[in-house]
This record gives sequence, C-alpha cells and structure tokens, in this order.
Amino acid sequence: MGELGLNLNLFLTQLINFGVVVTVLSYLLYKPVLNMLRERTERIEQSLQEADQVKQQLANARRDYDAEIARARQEAAGILSQAQDRARAQEAEIIAQARQDADRIRSDAREQALQERDQLLREVKDQLAELVTLAASRVLQAELSTQGHDKLIEESLAALGRQN
Amino acid sequence: MEAMTDAGLRLIGTALAIGLAAIGPGIGIGIIVSGALQAIGRNPETQNTVVTYMFIGIAFTEALAIFGLVISFLIGFGVL
Amino acid sequence: MTLTPRNRNIAIGLVVLSVAIASMFCLPTGEPHVEVKAEPLFFLIGSPENPFFPFVNSFTIMLIADVLLIGLAFAATRNMQMVPRGLQNALEMAVEALYNLFATINREYVARAFPLVATIFFYVLFANLLGLIPGVGSIGVCQEYHHDTHGTSLTGRLAAREPGGALPLYASAEEEGAAHGNAYNTCPAGTILVPLFRTPSADLNFTLALATLAWVYIEYQGFKVLGRGYLKKFFNTNGIMSVVGIFEFIGELVKLPAFMFRLFGNIFAGEVVLVVLAFLIPLFLPMPLYVFELFVSFIQAFIFAVLTMAFITVATTGHEEEHHEGQPSAAH
Repeated sequence: MGELGLNLNLFLTQLINFGVVVTVLSYLLYKPVLNMLRERTERIEQSLQEADQVKQQLANARRDYDAEIARARQEAAGILSQAQDRARAQEAEIIAQARQDADRIRSDAREQALQERDQLLREVKDQLAELVTLAASRVLQAELSTQGHDKLIEESLAALGRQN
Repeated sequence: MEAMTDAGLRLIGTALAIGLAAIGPGIGIGIIVSGALQAIGRNPETQNTVVTYMFIGIAFTEALAIFGLVISFLIGFGVL
Repeated sequence: MTLTPRNRNIAIGLVVLSVAIASMFCLPTGEPHVEVKAEPLFFLIGSPENPFFPFVNSFTIMLIADVLLIGLAFAATRNMQMVPRGLQNALEMAVEALYNLFATINREYVARAFPLVATIFFYVLFANLLGLIPGVGSIGVCQEYHHDTHGTSLTGRLAAREPGGALPLYASAEEEGAAHGNAYNTCPAGTILVPLFRTPSADLNFTLALATLAWVYIEYQGFKVLGRGYLKKFFNTNGIMSVVGIFEFIGELVKLPAFMFRLFGNIFAGEVVLVVLAFLIPLFLPMPLYVFELFVSFIQAFIFAVLTMAFITVATTGHEEEHHEGQPSAAH
C-alpha cells in the first residue's frame, strides 16, 4: 500500500489530530452553542408565556374596566330615571297645587263677586225702597196712613223681587 | 508499429477500470435524481428530506465509480 | 482612502496578478505531476531512504485547518451573547442547521453523535476548500528525487526504470531533458517540485483515519444499543437470513474503505481534472470546473457526515425490532 501513500505513523497522526479537533471543538463550540440555543429556546418560550400572561391580565383588566363602566352607566341611568321620576312627581304635585290654588282663587273670587252683587242688590233694593217710599210719600203725602205705607213698600219690593 | 508492451496493457487496464466503472453509477445517479425530482414535483414540501436522501443514495451509487477509480489507480501505479 | 466596489475589485485583481507574476519569478516552478500520495517535505524521524515519520505536505493544510477551526470556534464562543452578532451568529446558525439536519436523519442519537459528525463535516469542508485555493499544489520546493518517498507519475511508472535512468516522472531520459529545457521548469535536473500544500482530503491517511473513526463509532453504537443482538444481525442460523447476514457482514466491512475512497476519490479526481484542464486551456476552461469543485467540496463533507449518521441509524436498528413491529398488535 506504500504506493498509495499509506503509512502507519501518518495515519496515527491524522487520527490523533482529528480526535483532538473533535474534543476541542465539542468543548469549545458544540457544547456552548447548543447550550446557548437551548437556553435561548427556553427563554423565548418563557417570554412567550409571560407575554400570554400579560395579555391575559390585560384582558382581565379590560373586562373589569368594561364591567365597571357598564355598572357606572347603569347606575347613572338609574339615578337619572329616579331623578326624572321625582321631577315628574314634583311637577305633578306642583301642577296639582297650582290647579288647587287657581280653583281656590277662582272660587274665592266668585264668592266675593256674589257677595258683592248681593250687597249691591241689597243696597240697590234699600235705595229703591227709599226711593219708592219717597216717591210714594210725595204722591200720597198725608192721605196715606202709616199702615198703607208699609203695605205699599212690601208690594213694591215683591214686585222688584219678581222682576229680578 | 510498436509491439504491445506491459506498460501499454496497464494503461489500457487503467482506462478500462474507471471507464467501465463509470457507466453503471452514471445511469444509477440519473435514475436516483429523476426519482427525487418526481417526488419533489409531486410533493414539494418534502424537498429537504428528499434531497438529503437523494444525496445519500447518490453517495452509495457513486461509491461504485470510486471503487473503479481506486482499482484503476492500483493498476496504474502497479500495486496490483 | 475610500474605494468604490468597482475600483476595489480592480485593485484586488491587480494585486493578485502581481503576486502571481512575482511568484512565477521568485518561486521554483516544476513540471506539475499527478501524485497519489502526500510527499514528505522533511523528516521528523527517519530519512528519505527509511521514511519512518515524514512531515508530509498534507500536514500543512491539516494544521491550517486545525488552527482555523479552533480559532473560529474560540473567537465565536469567547464572549457568548444572548443576542448573537457577527461570527457567533454565523457559527450558531451553521451548528443549528447541522443539528437539525442530523436530527431529521436520527433524532435519537443526534445529541450523542453530534460532536463527531459535525466535526467531520466542518473539518472535511475546511480541508476541501483550503485545497482549492490557488497555489495549493503549485507552490513548492525542489527536492532530490527518492523513489521510496516521492511518488511516480502514471507514465513514469509505466516507463522502464533503469538505475540511473530518467526520473519516473518521465517516460524517457529524452523527455526529461526536454522538460528541464522548458523555461517554466526552474527545478534543477534530478529534482522534482514538491508542493508545500496538499489538502488532507487527497491524502489516504487522513481519509482512512476519518473513516476508521466513523466506522468504529458506528460499530460501537451498534454493540452498545443491541448488545449481542448486533452480532446476530450478521451471524445466525435462521435459514435464508444466515446468507443475508453474511452479505450484510461483508457490506459492513466495505463501509470502511467506501468511506475512505469516496472522499479521497472525489477530491483527488477533482484536483487531477483541474490540473489537466489547466494544462489544456489554462485561461477560462477551469472556471466552471472550479465552481463544480466548490460544490463537490461541500457535498463530500455533507455526505461523509450524513452517511455516518445514517449508518448509526442502520446499526442501532435490530432485525428483531423490525420483526416485532411486523407482528399483529393483538399479541401484546
């Protein structure tokens, strides 16, 4: 095999050299690099998990916030409707009161008017009686007795009352 | 014309050894690559795997040609 | 001074050209010859007559590859960062891609076998690529020819060799004389140009060492996983399977030289083709082949590592396992 260059010492040299390279590279290159790759994979997985967690938390917070907002809105709506109800009640009350007042004022006014008319009528009647008496006394003067006088006044007043 | 010498016969043997040994692997590698290309054409996502195994197959086939080459060296350099 | 890319390329081209021309005058040039074995540059132990332990020219690239690989690994992992940058990033990507590739072939044993197969890949790749640098195989020193240590060219070997006759590089003494009359051959008569560099992949000692390591590791894994069952794969008295086992045994033994010669043959043949083509048409013809050789360099490194991994899978899969798998599940 000498013609092909095979030589035991050269072979052993190459064998040992290659063995040394394998050993050195496995400690210098493969181990750290593969460890680093594994570490990086782990770290990425961890980061992804953390990101998921954060996303979850964010979603939770979002949900809480939404719930809170909804609750607040509901509350506001409740308060508003309550206020409206109360306002409506008050309004009704006020209107009723006003109506009552108006009625009262009107009835008072009417009563007063009636009283005033009555009074006026009475006064007119009195004056009329006086006038009638006066006129009659003038017409009849002394001829008439005091009896006839009162009777005449009564008749005149009755006639007035019928006329009225 | 010179007579056929021992050296000349060796040259012929050397040339024949590698020449004949190259025929079969040449055809074989052609068949392997054709099969691999068809496989990739039908199923392109397996390309990486197919190419790897294609090279393994080519290496096996090519080994025959390399043996022929070695035999031709052995003849040419007078080891055999 | 800032240069546009175009001017920089021109400057690089001029530098390369001037280095090439200067080396043509300053460095010895000789008749290039196809050499199967690595040639000794000097002798650590022994002498040209008795080459016990020569320092061959494949050791140079071997040492350069060692230094480059270990230096790169050291530089990349000296200051590891969680967010990789530059060299660390590149090497991490390469290691990770290799790891994933091997994992597709054998997920179970990849962690165990990774240092060996990955180093095979990186080392063979570096050796192959370093062997393609111009100057490897052509820069050398003139040495007196010794038959035992220096190889022979095919034609020289075939030529009748008389004592005191022509160097075995040449077919005849006349041819040798003509070669030394050539202006491009500055080595004195009786000497040959020994290249300073030779890729280890084109040295059978290296490929044999690599193949031995890989093969021993494969067999070791087979024994470790299957125990005595591993031998039963090859030697059994199971009818037709006994014959198959013998064939498998032969196939197992052939794996070693197959590993060895596959790498050697591809790289060596590539170098021969480049040399021959450079002699036929030196200027542009070798270019596409250079590209092809770059591809072959990568593929051979890849094949060596992937085949080792695939053979581990084969060795650690017993026949009985396959048998069990074939049985109906009701039996369990």
